[in-house]
Amino acid sequence: MTANLVRAVVRWARGKSPWLLHFNSGGCNGCDIEILDLLTPRYDVERLGIIKEASPRHADILMCTGPVTRQSKDRLRRIYEQIPCPKWVLAVGSCSCSGGVFQGGSNVLGGVDQVLPVDLYVPGCPCRPEAMIDGLVRLLERIE
Amino acid sequence: MNFDLVLESLRDALLLPEIESRPVPIDERFVQIPPERLREAVAVLVNNLELRHLSTITGQDTGQGIELLYHFWHGNGLTLCTTVPYEKPTVDTLMALIPAAAFYEAEVTEMLGVTFVGNADPGPLFLPDDWDGDPPLRKQNAHG
Amino acid sequence: MIGTATLLSESRMRMDRVKIPIGPQHPLLKEPLAFQVTAEGERIVESTLRLGYVHRGIERLCQERTYVQNLHLLERVCGICSHVHTTTYCQAAEALLGLQVPLRGLYLRTLLCELERVHSHLLWFGVLAENIGFTTIFMHAWRDREIALDIMEELSGGRVTHAVNVIGGVRIDIGEAQFQTIISRLYDLESQVHGFLELVEQERTFRARTRDVGHLSAEQVRQYCAVGPVARASGVDVDVRRDAPYAAYNRVPVRVITNDRGDVWARAMVRAQETIESLRLCHQLLIGLPDGPTAVRAPRRVPAGEVVSRAEAPRGEVIYYIRSDGSDQPARVKIRTPTLPSLMTLPDQLRGVHTADISSVLSGVDLCIACADR
Repeated sequence: MTANLVRAVVRWARGKSPWLLHFNSGGCNGCDIEILDLLTPRYDVERLGIIKEASPRHADILMCTGPVTRQSKDRLRRIYEQIPCPKWVLAVGSCSCSGGVFQGGSNVLGGVDQVLPVDLYVPGCPCRPEAMIDGLVRLLERIE
Repeated sequence: MNFDLVLESLRDALLLPEIESRPVPIDERFVQIPPERLREAVAVLVNNLELRHLSTITGQDTGQGIELLYHFWHGNGLTLCTTVPYEKPTVDTLMALIPAAAFYEAEVTEMLGVTFVGNADPGPLFLPDDWDGDPPLRKQNAHG
Repeated sequence: MIGTATLLSESRMRMDRVKIPIGPQHPLLKEPLAFQVTAEGERIVESTLRLGYVHRGIERLCQERTYVQNLHLLERVCGICSHVHTTTYCQAAEALLGLQVPLRGLYLRTLLCELERVHSHLLWFGVLAENIGFTTIFMHAWRDREIALDIMEELSGGRVTHAVNVIGGVRIDIGEAQFQTIISRLYDLESQVHGFLELVEQERTFRARTRDVGHLSAEQVRQYCAVGPVARASGVDVDVRRDAPYAAYNRVPVRVITNDRGDVWARAMVRAQETIESLRLCHQLLIGLPDGPTAVRAPRRVPAGEVVSRAEAPRGEVIYYIRSDGSDQPARVKIRTPTLPSLMTLPDQLRGVHTADISSVLSGVDLCIACADR
């Protein structure tokens, strides 16, 4: 009975306060600065319980930006493995959805789904902060 | 930049009676130097003329060999051009004269397969550790 | 006996060298970049770095696309300095085509260049502040940066990438109503930036974290051919806007700001003062905006030839070399961005620095790895 209660609380907390880890696997930085923008006063996602974490061990959601380059493929996978379950992957921006404008580049493998299972794709070049928040909310609805 | 002085200094120091040069937009003069005299030419610029700002080194496969363009700036643009043959794509390093040449030469090495004799750490700089293809900017790889 | 702990006096403790990896994923680094820093005790003795995590092979991609398609690609070399990339590229193509961009187009192109400099410097300032523990200033700087982003969005439709440049000019224009609101918002932003400058000049903890840290002499700057604020903060007086004026810079001269200290604090001073100067330039460009068209038509095929084009990105000199073979696709596009020489100065900047100051030094450079790797 207590175990069930704890599980229910954890599930509620996870849905109400997801912690994000951001990794750029080869993007131009456009989506990255818009992700950072989420934390700043205009968008302020912290009021929604979302904070950006520095360590994969603390994160619930991996927000990926940029196409996956050959050099960053292994790091991306390793970071994903270090995030404790349950975990979700959000592909933010056209490049992490599909490789975007860099498709065909000599060092580019494609979108994040070439390497990791993606839970939600949020397109845009760059992806607007409003679209990212929308994506996060949809993901949270799915989590709960 | 006193371009006539530059040409005269190069002619005198390299003992070359004629040095081909041509104007190039936007504000540039391209000067032809044989590859085996390139380091001497740069020594003249750096030591005699205080002409030290190397913006970058462009390498390109022209079909007739690998052309190297050393883009300098001193009030106006000055580019030293030289071509190395496919059979022996080597030229001396400029690192002792201009430490900035380190990265620019390393990039030309990995992208075009040119060897800069004396550059102890030629990379890889941008290409991944597991790059197994030919230098990506060589003509036969241009549409690979 | 419990355990075999032995107490050593400090003098008998061996000072081994410790290798500290930083990146490619690290809270200090906004982009993937691998550093390895070797520390002896608390001091850094050497460092090496590995680039390539953001290498997308853009130069090769340019050869496979048309000049017009490359506009979209090259704006995405870097999300922060996207407009200056297409500016340098368009200048090069326009020179090969022999096109004269109308003056109104040049002014608007320059306006976006300066707004981009403002947003980039404020972005950098916030990130530096965050990395040295000053989260409040990060929030303030990025909140105020939204004013610049709003203006750019109003002018172009995009906050981060603008697609303003076309070969032959710019595709945007500005009306009287817009003009008035932009002028008033620039004025608001300027008073905020004066506050940041005062903080840099006088705030004790900021000064303590940034003064005498990450020093570069003028000679070291020249050896690595460093450019931009990194060079100017070591007393090296270079700025493409003044030395080789492009766009409308020959009509709105720039006051180039230098500082002799050569440390992270000097870089903060230079960038803060440059932001104020950029806001002044935006004002000049708006009130002096000439009438007329904003672009001329450009043919699809570019005559055979070569061109070297330079501009002053927020981080310094950016150079493009383009060779055309007479078709509608470039035969070669070579790009060198200002972060590359700045990266070469890093081992010198880090030598002798405390490990606790790594964050100051790395942030002080204003690295843009997407630009460096292409």
